[in-house]
Amino acid sequence: MSEKTSNPSMKEVVEAGEGEEIYDIELDEDLLRANKEIAEENRILLESKNVLAVDIMGSIGSGKTSLIVKLVEALKEKYRIAVFKGDLTTTIDAERISKHGVEAVPINTGKECHLDANLIRKALSRINIDDIDLLFIENVGNLICPSEFPLGSHKRVVVVSVTEGPYMAVKHPFIFADADVAVINKMDLAEAMDVSIEKLERDIKGLNASVKVVATNCRSGENVIEVVRALRL
Amino acid sequence: MHEFAMTTQIVETALKEAEKHEAKQVKDIYVVIGSLTFLSLEQVRFAFDVLKKDTLLNDANLHIEEKPGYVKCSSCGYEGRLKLEDDPAYHIPVPLLRCPKCEARVEIIEGRECTLRRVKIIR
Repeated sequence: MSEKTSNPSMKEVVEAGEGEEIYDIELDEDLLRANKEIAEENRILLESKNVLAVDIMGSIGSGKTSLIVKLVEALKEKYRIAVFKGDLTTTIDAERISKHGVEAVPINTGKECHLDANLIRKALSRINIDDIDLLFIENVGNLICPSEFPLGSHKRVVVVSVTEGPYMAVKHPFIFADADVAVINKMDLAEAMDVSIEKLERDIKGLNASVKVVATNCRSGENVIEVVRALRL
Repeated sequence: MHEFAMTTQIVETALKEAEKHEAKQVKDIYVVIGSLTFLSLEQVRFAFDVLKKDTLLNDANLHIEEKPGYVKCSSCGYEGRLKLEDDPAYHIPVPLLRCPKCEARVEIIEGRECTLRRVKIIR
């Protein structure tokens, strides 16, 4: 037996023709593993510097950036904060955040529908981690893909709003199943939208009994302090 | 939605393996995709055909085994498939993460995997 077949996971199948051989190689490679491993490295790096990272996920226009702005206002005296802001393109939202006196790093994903651990690793190399205690990572607006790609954050928040209609939770079970805090935003519009916040909360609790659900108005800042409490910050 | 990213992973992993074994070309690629990954297999196949061009994978066939979701209920002990809700607004049936028997929350045992199982190479 030649050294070509010394690898036990590789077996020769048939002669394909003159001088050609077909080999069947067993891999069983988890294609999401690379991301999971980098996420774990990110988490270890953040913990070595005593930084708490919070992943903010949610649908487009649900109020993720508004929530972060209000959280920054509420917490910037207590913590040194940085924000990673994922978007397909533009730095509009990063500028909305940096106005409030914290470092905001835009991460443009191009056409990709979610942030991944590698993008976070690159962004972490662009800031001085020693200078922060708290990191908010705003994911790309999407309720499906981010749940498959952990980033290395310690807590995950999902933001939905009543203007998206009454079925956002039951239609996107995975993102709620993995969340620590669920925010139902635009509570002031619930009546006009004929959406029951209580029903949405029941749906979310049905997917994840341990998740903390908070209804907010992130424009006025109403109840944002409850999000702070739910995150134990 | 992230079919392109996942298919890029499939292609890159297969290429790395092909280069490691000094393959002339890759003949077949076998992957397992869980139905609870929400990956559209049609889009995976399309992305594969685009990404494989002018590489060692140029003539490779992609074989996809779809694994159905399998769940376990800690409340009533149910083990099996999830109930699907067919909603015309979505391009795939949406699974409810509830036990089809007792409505309690279920734990996912299988169906979220995306694995490159085997490659066949010619050298």
